[in-house]
Parts: sequence; structure tokens; C-alpha cells
Amino acid sequence: MVDALTRSMRASHVLVAILVSVSLVIAAVGVAFDDTFYLRLATEALIFAGLALSVDILLGYTGLLSLGQALYFGLGAYLSALVLMVVPSFWAAIGATALASALAGLIGGFIVNRVRGVYFALITFGMAQVAAKIVYNTRALGASDGLIGVPVIDINLGIVTVSSASPAGFFLLVLAMIVILYAFAAYLLDTPFGRLLIALRANEARIPFLGYRTMTPRLAAYVLAAMIAGLSGALYPMLRGFVSPELMFFETSGNAVITVVTGGAGILVGALYGSALLTLLKSVIGSYTVHHLIVIGVLFMGAVIFLPKGMMGSIRPAIERMLARREPK
Amino acid sequence: MTAPVLETRDLSINFGGLRAVDQVSFTVERNRITTVIGPNGAGKSTLFNLISGALRPRNGQVLIEGVDCTGRPPYRMQAAGLARSFQITNLFDELTVAENLRLAAQILEPVSMAWRPVRASGVAQARVDELLERFGLADKARYIVGELSHGEQRRLEVAVALACKPKVLLLDEPTQGMSHGDTRDTAELIKTLAADVTVLLIEHDIGLVMSLSDHVIVMHQGQKLAEGTPADVRANKAVQTAYFGHT
Repeated sequence: MVDALTRSMRASHVLVAILVSVSLVIAAVGVAFDDTFYLRLATEALIFAGLALSVDILLGYTGLLSLGQALYFGLGAYLSALVLMVVPSFWAAIGATALASALAGLIGGFIVNRVRGVYFALITFGMAQVAAKIVYNTRALGASDGLIGVPVIDINLGIVTVSSASPAGFFLLVLAMIVILYAFAAYLLDTPFGRLLIALRANEARIPFLGYRTMTPRLAAYVLAAMIAGLSGALYPMLRGFVSPELMFFETSGNAVITVVTGGAGILVGALYGSALLTLLKSVIGSYTVHHLIVIGVLFMGAVIFLPKGMMGSIRPAIERMLARREPK
Repeated sequence: MTAPVLETRDLSINFGGLRAVDQVSFTVERNRITTVIGPNGAGKSTLFNLISGALRPRNGQVLIEGVDCTGRPPYRMQAAGLARSFQITNLFDELTVAENLRLAAQILEPVSMAWRPVRASGVAQARVDELLERFGLADKARYIVGELSHGEQRRLEVAVALACKPKVLLLDEPTQGMSHGDTRDTAELIKTLAADVTVLLIEHDIGLVMSLSDHVIVMHQGQKLAEGTPADVRANKAVQTAYFGHT
């Protein structure tokens, strides 16, 4: 038997499948036209989609507003850059980031989960700002310039080897990574553990009386989100060849929240579509005016007022109904 | 001799200068319905908060099956076999009726199921189906809690508390705000619960208390004023003065 929440998650899968199909077409068209710019832009959109995904696990599922998710994204980006400059291995960078972001998430999680609500948001914000300022002022990390000269790497996937300099190849690799992160999160959120997160958002006060301590699932969600943000960040220096402290700044964290709210919170897939839309808009509007943030801000306000469930949040119920009709009675 | 399923000893808590619960001791016998009555402000809900771990007592003890559980947080009280419902409906409003029950029942699953998809787990789902049937909510299973009537929400509140198969069930005014018919149905339901769970109840409807309870505890100004069978309590002069308003 499939219950309502499992069906909702399947509706998200359908939307992800559509996004992947469109992405494959984009990759094919990009290769045909020998494009670099748009494929790299699309790759960047996917990387920031991973960051937004981590925000949605906290905001949309667990009910925790993190204004400092860039901390883990930046950690992943810097660590990946450092590892790649020593050992040009994709797997070494990913492995190191997974471990480091889990550990950082655990430590950060113990700090921020002592408080709730607006205090949680403020402490996540503060922690990320402190980390960003430390990086900004550390000469060994390139200070305000960031780290430049991250080498192009060949990523050995067993059957094929993909170069991080290949626009279409690396785009597909990042697409696969983000889909894996999505699938992992979606799987966890449909287990009893994941349902507990949904219950936390719905009514945290009742949880202890059902026999659970609230700290454990909150912390687990926070660590999971830190790892997803970190792993997404690890892909960034492979794409751009550099990292800069801006990756850890509030603008990055804030953009991720805007991405989730615009795309739809609490559905995972909203983060992916939201990132695609915002990255595209930023690039297109940015080519006309330096004040593109004003346009993004207005769009965000519009989304909050007219589509409070976000783009995908408004579409998904229709897919749920379609899936319900196809279920055997 | 086996220990009583629930016992309090000299349970006390102060709120500022107010002795909200003052040296309350009683035992609850297995598979009986024990009701706590008393005027507003007598300390009934505070007593429940102390027993369920929502508040830490300043003095005294709470024992579940002879084990001292004093000061344990609610999730450990649940582990010891105690569950409660709330006077003000306290559910997961945006989720379905079935999911509310499933969340409450998933603690019955073995730990290994925590990381498997929800649909793979049969234990919780079986409990959900059983409760839906028993509480007459089967045709509302797919409804969001917010769409239910007040009476249905109150019934679900009890069902959610019962879902984890507790040994002791604390029900804080389960019929609060219900229509007369709903109240009677709920009373019948509570009566059937006592077959496999010990019920400790807070209730205002005196007619209901008298017909439902095996044992009645009367509270007044934080203290236990009297206890006994419904007939004993009704005949008690001090109770009549304090509670029924007779002289």
C-alpha cells in the first residue's frame, strides 16, 4: 500500500525524471553546437541546486531555517580545491569532503540545535559569517582572492573517463551526482526516520510523547544537509578552477533559501527547478543590467505572494492525483 | 506481590508561590479506569504533566511498575510504558489521519526498520488499521487532520496516544468540547480500552465519571482531597463542599 507521503515523493520523482530528460536534451544540443558557455552555466545551476536541496531538507522537511548553509558548501569547495591541488583525484576530493562535511555538520549541529526558530536561523547565519571571515583573512587559503589554479582533472568512472574541462561530459557527471544526492535524500525521507523529520516540522512538541527525543532526528537532518551541501560545493572548483570566499558569504546561503522558496519547499525537486530558473535569470538579466538582484528580489516576492507553495509545489499535486488514479485499488 | 502499574509518592511542584501540585500520592491499579476530578485550577493537568515527564517535580516520585521514573523526559516515560493525550488537541495537523497514527505506531517497529521505506513495514500499518477500525475513523483515514470535525479530532487524539501500545494511558479530558452523543460514544470506547490498558483520566462530566470510573481521585487546590469508588466519593462531605458546591 502506498500512503499519501510516499505518493507525493513519487510525484517528485516524476518531476526529476522530466528535469533529467530536459538536461540530456540540453547536453545533446550543447554538443551539437559545440557550446561551452550554456553548458557550464547549466552545470553551475546543478551545483547550486545541490546546495538548495540541503536547505530544503532542513526548511521544507524538518522545519529549520538555515541561513548559513554556505558554510558547508564553502567548506566542500575549499577542501576539494586543496585536495585537487595536491592529488588531482575526483574520488579523493569527494571522499575528503564527505568526511569533513559530516564532521563539521556534527559539530555545527550540536551548536545550532540547542535553540529553535528564529534563534536557529540567527546562529546558522552567525556561524557561517564567522567561518567566511576566517577564510577571508587567512593567507594560506588565498584570503580575499580565494584559491586559484585548481587543475583540470580526469575523472575515472570505471567504464569511461570524463575530463572536468569537457563541458558536456562534466555537466552529465554533475547531473548524475545531484540526482544521486536527490535520490539518497528522497529515500531517507520516506523511511520512519524521514517521517519523523516531517513530524518535527508539523508539531515538534508532540514528538517526545511518541517516544522519540527530538535532538537525534534534528541533528541527523542537519548532518545530512551539511554533507549534501559539502558534496555539491566540492564540484564547484572542478567546474571553475578556483574558489573564492564569496562562496561562504550570506549571499550564497540567502540565494539557496530563495531558490527553495521559489521552486517549492518540502518537495526536494523544487530546489532543482528553482536553481535552474534563478541561475538562468541571473545570467540573462545580468547581461542587460548589473542590478539583476533587484529583478530576482521582485520575482521572489511575487513567488511568495502568488505561488506560496513555489513553482513545483503548485504543480506537484496534479501529478499526485495522476499517480493516485493509476494505483491498483 | 507485583508493584502497581503506576504510583505517585508525595508529588509536588510550585509555580512561584503557588503550590500547583502538593504532596499527591496515589496508586493506579492495572486495567482499571481511574479518574482525577477537581475544579478548575485544582492541579489535574499539572499532575499529568508531572507524570508524563513534561514537567519535573520539585519533590516526590513517579513509579511505573515499581521502577522509579521521576524526572525522566517524556520519551523515556513512553519507553517505560506510559502514553498520554492532551486537553488541547495536539496532533500533526497537516498530515493525514493514517499518517498521524502511523507516526505514533512506528515505535513498535524493530529498530532495523528505521532505515527501510515506510511501506516495507507491516507492524505499524497493522496497528494503524486496527485503530482506525476501533475508533471509527476508517473512512477518514486519508483526510488531513485539519479537515476533521472537533469530535473526530478528539477521538484521534486518544487513538494516537494508544498507538504505541502503552501500559498506562493518561487521557486529559478526552471529551472536552464534544457533543453529548460524541461524549457518550467516547465513554463507551474508553470502557473497552480498559481490557488491555490501564487508564488514568481527567474528566469534567460528572455523570460520565460516575458511570465510567472504577476509582476516583478528587483534587482541590493542588492536594488530593479524597479517593475511592465513585459512590464513596459522592458521599464524601469534604468533596461535596469543595467540588459539588453542596453544604
